[in-house]
Amino acid sequence: MDLTKVDLCKEYVIKSITTHDAELEAFLFSLGCFSGEKITVINRRRSGSIVAIKDGRYNIDTPLAQAIEVF
Amino acid sequence: MRIAMTGNPNSGKTTMFNAITGRNEKVGNWAGVTVDIKKASIKKSFNESDEKIVCVDLPGAYSISPFTAEESVTRDYILNERPDIIVNIVDATNLSRSLFFTTQLLELGIPVVVALNKTDLNRKKKTEIDINALSKIINCPVIETISTSKKGLKDVIDAVLSLKGKSQIAPFTQPNIEYSDKAAIAKADKQRFAFVGGVVNQVEKRAVSTHKRNTQDKIDDLLTNKWLGLPIFAVVMFLVFWISQAGPGVWVADWLTALMESGQEWVGAQFTDANPLLYSLLIDGVIGGVLAVVGFLPLVMVMYFLIALLEDCGYMARVSVILDPIFKKVGLSGKSVIPFVIATGCAVPGVMACRTVRTERERRATAMLAPFMPCGAKLPVIALFAGAFFEDATWVGPLMYFLGIIIIFFGALIINKITGYKARKSFFIMELPEYKAPSFFRAFKSMCSRGWAYIVKAATIILLCNTVVQIMQTFSLSLSVAESADQSILAAIAEPFSYLLVPVVGVISWQLAAAAITGFIAKENVVGTLAVCFVGLENLINTDELTMIEGAGAEVASLFAITRVAALAYLMFNLFTPPCFAAMGAMNAEMKSKKWFFASIGFQFGTGFTIGFVVYQFGTLITTGAFGAGFLPGLAAVTVFAIIIAVLCVKSGRKAKV
Repeated sequence: MDLTKVDLCKEYVIKSITTHDAELEAFLFSLGCFSGEKITVINRRRSGSIVAIKDGRYNIDTPLAQAIEVF
Repeated sequence: MRIAMTGNPNSGKTTMFNAITGRNEKVGNWAGVTVDIKKASIKKSFNESDEKIVCVDLPGAYSISPFTAEESVTRDYILNERPDIIVNIVDATNLSRSLFFTTQLLELGIPVVVALNKTDLNRKKKTEIDINALSKIINCPVIETISTSKKGLKDVIDAVLSLKGKSQIAPFTQPNIEYSDKAAIAKADKQRFAFVGGVVNQVEKRAVSTHKRNTQDKIDDLLTNKWLGLPIFAVVMFLVFWISQAGPGVWVADWLTALMESGQEWVGAQFTDANPLLYSLLIDGVIGGVLAVVGFLPLVMVMYFLIALLEDCGYMARVSVILDPIFKKVGLSGKSVIPFVIATGCAVPGVMACRTVRTERERRATAMLAPFMPCGAKLPVIALFAGAFFEDATWVGPLMYFLGIIIIFFGALIINKITGYKARKSFFIMELPEYKAPSFFRAFKSMCSRGWAYIVKAATIILLCNTVVQIMQTFSLSLSVAESADQSILAAIAEPFSYLLVPVVGVISWQLAAAAITGFIAKENVVGTLAVCFVGLENLINTDELTMIEGAGAEVASLFAITRVAALAYLMFNLFTPPCFAAMGAMNAEMKSKKWFFASIGFQFGTGFTIGFVVYQFGTLITTGAFGAGFLPGLAAVTVFAIIIAVLCVKSGRKAKV
């Protein structure tokens, strides 16, 4: 399932990221956001989600949250 | 020797750079404040050796392979310029991410000193990092620092000196891979992260997991709330403008202008026997013009102070988050917000901040629209007109900012149409830095340095312009003393332009035209030139509602000989035409396209004129029942502008279909 559907404040493992944007995916990688890494959705609004990756907090918009599949 | 400050965005590089060099470069609590290279020598108090150390501050980067324009600046500098030592500033609160870049730096062979920064935050969270173990594993000195209080900085420099001429052994070496093979790169990078993960496990002990909700998240819930986020932002910005332009800013201005006025009188008293021509040149022209500008300094400084506080506390990143969905609708990104807010201080850094916007089209559009936010130099113009024509009404200032925002939205929509932009899936990611109590001391320092820059500008460019303007209005074209200012060189030069302004102000006034023209050199010149041209005005500015004499505002208004509606229109014309030359230069540099640059200037001219025209003509229609002077020619000009935009839109629409 993608990040818009997961429970809040529960740690998941990233399965895949599909943005069709190699540059963005490389950037996410450098933040530590890639398949096999842990991610937690801290809070969610209609337009985006606040997530915890490694030891940082980021806001990602809904299209990006939908592009990240976790299990 | 040269040392380079590198590290993740918002790890505190520039704060450290400022501390050890004594410079005052822009700092802020969000990722991507520094977009360019800064160099300075290290202060003697940090460097006791005879070795001269030049420190180079680089934009933040998460990885050596660049993602944004400013990140590639960092990569190119390190790889091509090969500094002698790399100081890697590591955010101690996010070791697991930061060390990825550190291990890449360690592979370059250049000695690295790791400054483990923000250790005070770790202590608060009871996170412990064993620096001796870390230093052993990564083969380089690791020093705990707190940039904001200068703790540990001397030790960093000592470590730098001890490494001079040495080489660096990498703790992790990337296997030889083909750089065109994406899968191989990804595999190697994963190995690197695995190595970093192993290191972090060995050296870091956390009491609280970052993946649990904390107080910071509760503040985020409120500030980025679906319903409350926007109103809170509106209130915050209104307070910034209100405090600086109606509240305390004005009280300080009152005091300062009274002080300066007595200074001007004193100087005047010293030259009572002087040649009247020279006297008027010096006292009315040079001093009067400059004082008219400097008199508004407190307003500008209070605003700089408040913006510095905002930038320091971590709110800016949240503003990007709440405005992103709205900005997306008009084809900009949430990241465009930061340039717009910075542009309220000055358009030049505002335009430069566009570099953090990722896509080229969004970046150029942001650079084109940022100067529509009234900057610090436009504030005296607003204050002058608000005082002279609107009894210092509190609505004038905020209205101008509000209008600037509306223009940005419509401008963005028009740019979308012209460039044939189609809403596509775009992704937005913004790091949310930790909130911190803003430092009043640093805001004060930032305010002083920017205030000083304002004074220097007033004492150089503005002074020079006022002197030239005064001389040009003293002499006629035959180089004899003009009988009246209307026969002066200035009048002769400015008069052709004054016809262009008729649809905006309703009268032929070469003074207003001259002020608008000198405004392109620096916007404060609008005030300075008006003070010089309308003899006696500078006395009134110093003593209008801002200070003492009651009813002086009305006197200023009568001197201008234009209606209140015309004054409002003229003010808006000056605010929303192209910015000063310095900001235009920045636009040109950031856009990297002559076509975009000239289109921007044309668009800004068109916008300024159209707004001035609409406000004057329809305002006059409402107040007097008839259109003002110059309605038809003005309408023709606005129509031509509208047709050009329409044609460009249709053209791109057709292209999109083909």
